[in-house]
Amino acid sequence: MEPTLRHRLTTAIVANPLFVLLLVMIVAVAAVTGGTLLNWVNLRGILLDGAIVAIVAIPGAMLIIAGYIDLSVGSTLALGGIVAGSIMAGGHGSPLIAVLAAIGVGIGVGLVNAIASPLFGLSAFITTLGTLTAVRGVAQLVNPLGANNFGASFGLLGVGTLLAVPIAVWIAGAGLIIGALFLVFTPAGRHVYAIGVNSRAAHLSGVNVKRMPFILYLVSGAAAGLAGAITVARLNSAPAGQLGLGFELTVLTAILLGGVALTGGEGSMFGVLVGVLFLGILNNSLIQLGVTSFWQNVASGVALVAAIAIGAVTHRLRLRLQAREAERIARATPVTST
Amino acid sequence: MTVTITGLTKRYGATLALDGVDLEITSGSVHALLGHNGAGKSTLIGCLGGGTVPSAGDIEIDGVRVGSLTPRTSIDHGIAVIYQHLSLVEGLTVADNLFLGQELTKGRVMLDRGEQNRVALRSLERVGAACRPHDLVGELSIGQRQLVEIAKALQRDARLLILDEPSAALSPVEAANLATLVESLAAQGIAILYVTHLLEEVMRLADDVTVLRGGRVVWTAHEHEFTKAELVSAISDGHAGEHPAPAPIDEHADAVLSVRDLRGPGLGPIDLDVRPGEIVALYGLVGSSRTRLLEMLFGARPHDSGKVLVDGRPARLASPASALASRIALVPGDRAAQGLFGTLSAMDNLVIRAMQTLSRGGVRRPRREARVFARTASDISLRPATASLAAARFSGGNQQKLLFGRWVNPVSDVRVLLLDDPTQGVDVGARAEIYDVIRAFAADHGAAVVFATNEPEEVVALAHRAVVMRKGRAIEEFDVRTRSEEQLLALIHSENAAA
Repeated sequence: MEPTLRHRLTTAIVANPLFVLLLVMIVAVAAVTGGTLLNWVNLRGILLDGAIVAIVAIPGAMLIIAGYIDLSVGSTLALGGIVAGSIMAGGHGSPLIAVLAAIGVGIGVGLVNAIASPLFGLSAFITTLGTLTAVRGVAQLVNPLGANNFGASFGLLGVGTLLAVPIAVWIAGAGLIIGALFLVFTPAGRHVYAIGVNSRAAHLSGVNVKRMPFILYLVSGAAAGLAGAITVARLNSAPAGQLGLGFELTVLTAILLGGVALTGGEGSMFGVLVGVLFLGILNNSLIQLGVTSFWQNVASGVALVAAIAIGAVTHRLRLRLQAREAERIARATPVTST
Repeated sequence: MTVTITGLTKRYGATLALDGVDLEITSGSVHALLGHNGAGKSTLIGCLGGGTVPSAGDIEIDGVRVGSLTPRTSIDHGIAVIYQHLSLVEGLTVADNLFLGQELTKGRVMLDRGEQNRVALRSLERVGAACRPHDLVGELSIGQRQLVEIAKALQRDARLLILDEPSAALSPVEAANLATLVESLAAQGIAILYVTHLLEEVMRLADDVTVLRGGRVVWTAHEHEFTKAELVSAISDGHAGEHPAPAPIDEHADAVLSVRDLRGPGLGPIDLDVRPGEIVALYGLVGSSRTRLLEMLFGARPHDSGKVLVDGRPARLASPASALASRIALVPGDRAAQGLFGTLSAMDNLVIRAMQTLSRGGVRRPRREARVFARTASDISLRPATASLAAARFSGGNQQKLLFGRWVNPVSDVRVLLLDDPTQGVDVGARAEIYDVIRAFAADHGAAVVFATNEPEEVVALAHRAVVMRKGRAIEEFDVRTRSEEQLLALIHSENAAA
């Protein structure tokens, strides 16, 4: 016997409370600001900001679903950006090589994380906290002065559009779709959840519990490197000290806002999309409403805690819904036991 | 103190875990609670300890109705439950544990360690513990920890002490000391509810006895008015002889599973042959290494030497994944920790392995998976047969069926099925269904089944052959048809006495 439609609908809404909140917020801000929020130029800015976060949040969320975490992405982004920027300095290098190099160094950082954490079993939190600090230093060593003026063709990566949509947004969109398909339609994607819920049970079910986290760390590094290249292309400059500072927390906030459980085993690409958009629109709305950047930080922080609170409440609600549904089905099913 | 339970009932969905249980425990006496796994003992303890809210019935303490208890009010009423899984903080000292939440202080701020240690020493002496107040609990043996937990309960003025299979993890010497302690506590006027599998303990300690089966009280005795024979028949009554005769097997067929001289830490040498369709019981108490043997055969635990053949081909036991590739599968005993993905759906739990077999080019085929789920759910009588329901929401028996379904389904190629304590925490109705599934799997596929248990009833109900395990060795092997359940019970208990 299958759950009723009503049960499914309530479950879906309860699972993504932010989605509802997001829609309410858009309407409210649009009404107050007379539609500036929905102005295409403004929207494009939000999407481009969000895309950079999303590109890194896709593998990041998968790692958290699998019970791991990657805190090093802020520094990896900086390293990737500075490597790409150094290659392009003065507009002489090849944009393709610059992007590939950024992705390559990202994979290098990912490899260190992958070997230390899933392979050797060190704490993911501590390992990536360590690489966060160390890689920041490496980025500054690579090019202490930073670089700028990368030329028009490399700049396209940051500001270029395809059918009026920024290139990074296309990349993020494709990533989200591929990520969602991977999680839902491949055994390996399902294993990510199984490992996050109960790694021991997954091991005893014949699942290789190290392979997927290992690969995801590499992808996470590559994504952060790519995000670094996009960021410096957009800025047309690569300041070694400030690039991507605090970026890992922005990504983490978006992931958690999207309903991915920090305890693992729970979350979706749709949630990541909602989380990224929510954070982007929240910040942008505050700007539209004339709120200073200090208050924006206060607001994002409060939003995160509020979202976790909402998440906890809806989680309990969902359990209750499930229990009620289970009872309904049990009552409707003929019983032979006892 | 007198605790009187009347008509206590607990319903889980469609299952009655407790069905109108009456029980009286009085100061200064030891009341033994017996019954098979799933008889309702744990639920009853849960109701007294406040962790479980009864659906109906009364609990009275000294004639006063207390309604349903919470863990807090249970402690306030002087009830202390010593669970098998002790609830001590391992990183703290014995004294810290004894005073946790009720610390003695100087001037309300500073911890008075001196006074705490003095009081702790007296408490430890009272229970005959050898450890000292400043020892770390994490470094103590299980027996010492248990004594610390009892001391903690007494220090909090417990008047009803509930012991849940306290001797299961103890050495014979520790168990004997515990028995002496229980006697002396009863003599001091403490009421004791003693849950056990071991009849020797009942004979020695119990004043009153209650036997549960299927959530009901099926037998009671008072003031030592019982014999061991009566106990054996009360526990095993009703089910002996109800089981279908085991399906005939071809004695001359080549073995599906051959284990040759298998040795590992604390185990072996083990030799074992299981023929097509045969079900073999590894029968032994906790600590006999029956689980260890199963885990070694599944590659979940390293072995030192020996050979394992499946259908004559050497099996690789480097990891569970390689054992599965050699067509050996294990359903672990600790469902929650080792088997189930609690928050994932029943479908995910069941097809976690099959989805790889079914997938093409790394892409799942949801419709085929759904067909496998539907077919398997019907074969194993899964209730409810709802693919999307989270595994944690199913009853113990149906969770166990999900784990079977993971290995026994239309796309599985498992030839050797290992089961650790297959009906732990499973009610009687589901238990019979699980037996049916296991029998059908062995008979229809000509597969080999090896299960570990400490319940003679389960051996008689399910196995063709039993191997008695003790301390990592197979000490005896016999055809189950030649022994009755009573004889098996006697066997395991005389063994325990001899150990």
